[in-house]
Amino acid sequence: MSLKVTDVVVRRGVGPVISGVSLEVHQGSITTIVGPNGAGKTSLLESLSGIIPIASGGLEIDGQEISTLSRRQRSLLGLKHVEQGRMIFPSLTVRENLTLTARSKADFDEAMSLFPELEKRIDSPTVLLSGGEQQMVVLARTFAARPRYIMIDEMSLGLAPVVFLRLVPVIQGIAQSGVGVLLVEQFAHLALRAATDALVVTSGKVSYHGPAQELLADEALLRNAYLGQ
Amino acid sequence: MNIIIALAVGFSSGALYALIGVGLTLMSVLTRVINFSLVAVGVFGAYLSIRTSPLIAGASLDVQTVITVVVAVLVAALISGILGWIEATWLSEATTTARSAVTVASLLMLISLSFILFGSQPQPLRPLLIGPAFLIGDVAVTKVGVAMLVAALVVGILTWIVVNRTPLGIRLRAVSDRQTAAELLGVNVKGLQVGVWMVVGGVMGLCASIIGNTAAADATSMITLVIPGTAAALVGAFKNIPLTIVGGLVVGALQGALTAFPSTTQLRDWIPILVIVLFLLWNQRKEVWDVAR
Amino acid sequence: MSLASRSRATRRPWLPLAIALGAVVLGAIFGFGMPAYVVFVSTSVLVAMVSLMGLGIVTGTAGMIALCQLSFGSIGAWILEFLYLKTPLPNVFGPLSFLLFMVIAGVITAALGLVIGLPALRLRGVNLAVITLGVAAAVDTTVQQIGFPDQSFAHIPRPFGLSSDPTGDRGYFLFAVIITVTIALGIYALQKSRIGAAWKSVAFSERGTASAGTSVRTAKLSAFALSAFVGGIAGCLIVGQITQVNYLTFTPINSLGLYVLSIVVGSQLIDMALFGGILFVVIPEILKQFRVPLEWSSVAFGILGIQALTSNSNLGTSVRAALFRRRRLMEASRADAAGDHAAVESVAEAPIPAGTGRPLLVVEHLTVEFGAVKALTDVSLVVEEGTILGLIGPNGAGKSTFVDAIGGFLPQHTGTAVLDGEPLAGLPPHRRARAGLRRTFQQDRVPPSMSVGAYLRFVTGGRADPAAISDALTFFGCPDAYTPLSVVDVGTRRLVEVAANLASRPKLLLLDEPAAGLSHDEHLAFADRLRRAPEHFGTTILIIEHDLDLVRSVCSQITVLNFGEILASGDRASVLNDPKVVSAYMGETEML
Repeated sequence: MSLKVTDVVVRRGVGPVISGVSLEVHQGSITTIVGPNGAGKTSLLESLSGIIPIASGGLEIDGQEISTLSRRQRSLLGLKHVEQGRMIFPSLTVRENLTLTARSKADFDEAMSLFPELEKRIDSPTVLLSGGEQQMVVLARTFAARPRYIMIDEMSLGLAPVVFLRLVPVIQGIAQSGVGVLLVEQFAHLALRAATDALVVTSGKVSYHGPAQELLADEALLRNAYLGQ
Repeated sequence: MNIIIALAVGFSSGALYALIGVGLTLMSVLTRVINFSLVAVGVFGAYLSIRTSPLIAGASLDVQTVITVVVAVLVAALISGILGWIEATWLSEATTTARSAVTVASLLMLISLSFILFGSQPQPLRPLLIGPAFLIGDVAVTKVGVAMLVAALVVGILTWIVVNRTPLGIRLRAVSDRQTAAELLGVNVKGLQVGVWMVVGGVMGLCASIIGNTAAADATSMITLVIPGTAAALVGAFKNIPLTIVGGLVVGALQGALTAFPSTTQLRDWIPILVIVLFLLWNQRKEVWDVAR
Repeated sequence: MSLASRSRATRRPWLPLAIALGAVVLGAIFGFGMPAYVVFVSTSVLVAMVSLMGLGIVTGTAGMIALCQLSFGSIGAWILEFLYLKTPLPNVFGPLSFLLFMVIAGVITAALGLVIGLPALRLRGVNLAVITLGVAAAVDTTVQQIGFPDQSFAHIPRPFGLSSDPTGDRGYFLFAVIITVTIALGIYALQKSRIGAAWKSVAFSERGTASAGTSVRTAKLSAFALSAFVGGIAGCLIVGQITQVNYLTFTPINSLGLYVLSIVVGSQLIDMALFGGILFVVIPEILKQFRVPLEWSSVAFGILGIQALTSNSNLGTSVRAALFRRRRLMEASRADAAGDHAAVESVAEAPIPAGTGRPLLVVEHLTVEFGAVKALTDVSLVVEEGTILGLIGPNGAGKSTFVDAIGGFLPQHTGTAVLDGEPLAGLPPHRRARAGLRRTFQQDRVPPSMSVGAYLRFVTGGRADPAAISDALTFFGCPDAYTPLSVVDVGTRRLVEVAANLASRPKLLLLDEPAAGLSHDEHLAFADRLRRAPEHFGTTILIIEHDLDLVRSVCSQITVLNFGEILASGDRASVLNDPKVVSAYMGETEML
């Protein structure tokens, strides 16, 4: 049972932004993709969820090819994409955000239990929430949909580190419940510590693929990926 | 002439403008389009429905009426649904301007087809409601006018209930807020949008059946009622339904007030434009830079 | 740059004039050689073509929806008739009256167009469509009620004493040809001019237009007014053709038809306007022959319009793009045969530019709030003249917000910004651009409807001569000036944008991620060029960039933003080695 990406190429304009990336995310595990901005991490996730088309390569969910399916069909197969920048529905309250995706009361309650601090804001429109709370709503809403795989793009974007620290254990909990998690993060250290597998993507190519702990240990490799030589 | 009389004189048309404006506002909020063919699909439904009368001549008058109205609503909903499907399939991520341009092209098509099918002669499009509802002074307020206002209010209230109090409404608002995010969560964006097109189209079919030929003698003049409708919707900035209803009544009342001065009949046709211009000027005191462009 | 790739138009500047002259000669032969009926119908084609050319300026070139082209026609016609029948002027000007009145009618129509356009064009979107549709209906009913000055009784004399019989029809056809050709030449020249470039630019990006120092409102209004002028002239041409008009000549539905047709064929292109005119007139004529209702032609236009809009293409530009690709292919094979390859220059690497010590841009206490969210808090920085300052920070740190605020796109900010002693407060973006402050955008805002050279001429505001333009393009290794931007890839378009803004020699240029979309090797070349730029163009540069290799290799000073506040500021080495900066970039949250 896995989300499998085989030799995917994505083009934007004329040139490729992703050239030949392969990876596999197993249910119950966390894979973290790190790398500098503009490396193509976001484009990769967007091609998986169907926001942009792939030029070649294969995308499979549990053995089923999905690269020709619509965004909605991929989502209904259990692949959920948490986009960059906290894509809340501003006019919906916290409760409505979760009702949108939860199929039962139990799903709703379980998602709510991830973030008890949202309880007191449950009937506020999400536009009035703080950045951290909005990110919690986005995560809870996605979890309420009972995904099989979650892709989370730059969860830390614009959030104070302390908020990010709060969110990481929740992601780990989601993974332990049997969901395959694909994290894309600019804030590498914490995201890598939570992960089992890691990829470093630079200029649209995979420059490291292996256990997250090994990457964490190799400070020089990580530094070069971000700050250049 | 006092303001009450002016309101009464322009009331019937004003209420109609309000209903059209409400339809336009709904479509603008829920499907990101200024639908210039909104009235056209309704008129098409109503005019096609009277073609069924030879087929059902044997039935009682009430049955005939019901069948005609149902046909009008269905035809209007169907045409509107096809347009919505075109927009949702090929222009789902296009700008409001591009989406609205398609409705201009379909407006051209529907007007021309209505010329071909219905001619420019007045047709026996019998209104559902005939006669005055009540008198203010010696000015009659027609039943049609009252029905239009009621319809505008009902559509406005029903919309509010559906949008704010039902699971369907949550979906509609999610799509209106962020279409892509909703799609990624598995919301059936295309189905919802086509649904909105069909429902609003159907309402317009019903509206055209009710007013019959009281507002305009022929199909084409009826289709151009979308213009005062846009004036009403602009008063609500294509967002606010209560203001849109007020806007429609104001446009109607201004036109009604002008009928007191026979020398100004030409001005009457410029009232919607005037309202549009004034509101645009008011709305745009401050220069705003759109992030997207 | 190879000479072989120069396009015909620039090698032969007399070509448009020659085509115009040829068209007039052809018109004369056609007008006096064809059957009378054909000549009369052909005059209608010319009238429709003039209307379409006018519409093409608004819909095609400037990208707006205008639905009252024939209302302008009816206003123009009304004024012409009024001047003929209600004033003593015809006795004064004799045979020249028609021509003179036509111009007056056009000018008054343009003025009315301005009045209509002014409220609609301040805000973007579909307001112009709403308002022009309203105008179309209101003019129609008004004209129905008050009628034209001829009252279906008097006939308007044709220009230069031409008679109202078939012989006069032939002469009038030639007159219409000459007027049409004159208008076509005028529009062609305008489209090649700076104002035409502003129209194309505003259709693609309003921010991009303002940043090039052009007022968005002026660009839109001039397009709309000119379109109204041409519409008025078309109305006058109809009066001359049929000598008596009524409201049925100018129905709103035909305005809609013209708009849709303009979209379908792409009537900003002169030849396509002619083609559209032929479709507009000939299809109904054919239907008439077969006794089919004429409205079927409008139904067909409606369907074609939906097709064109959903596929986001029009006939004219599709045909032109195909032709260009073919020509390029042929030229490429010729160039290969000639072994025409540019030698790779190898020169010593330029040093990181040192400044003059004078502060050029001084920003103090800049704060930007979006609702409750503070995007920038109390940001103060100084850019030294002649240097390249790097503005870096993690995603969402407020870097682009900073550029937006300095560029004038966020007028509601607090704090001050002074450029070269001149306060920028309250200046709209295009005024800041004229004051010597230019910027580029993260997103592609280079209008694909222009050629590279036309874009540079537009951005530089005509200040750069062809040599300077070619110099700037060579400097950045851009495609040559005659390449249409539509065939240039996005990464290279960004380079063209940078080259264009440097060629306008601003005091300060703000670059927002200029190297995104370039390959690694291109990054290196770009860095070297950038280091030379301050001296070469006399411009100081502030650059936002994620690639820290690039920042390290071009900037002497670096400022780091994090959560909308300045985290560190100073010389390159000390900032990049600052542990705070490293942790902000890599999120070493264990340091908390």
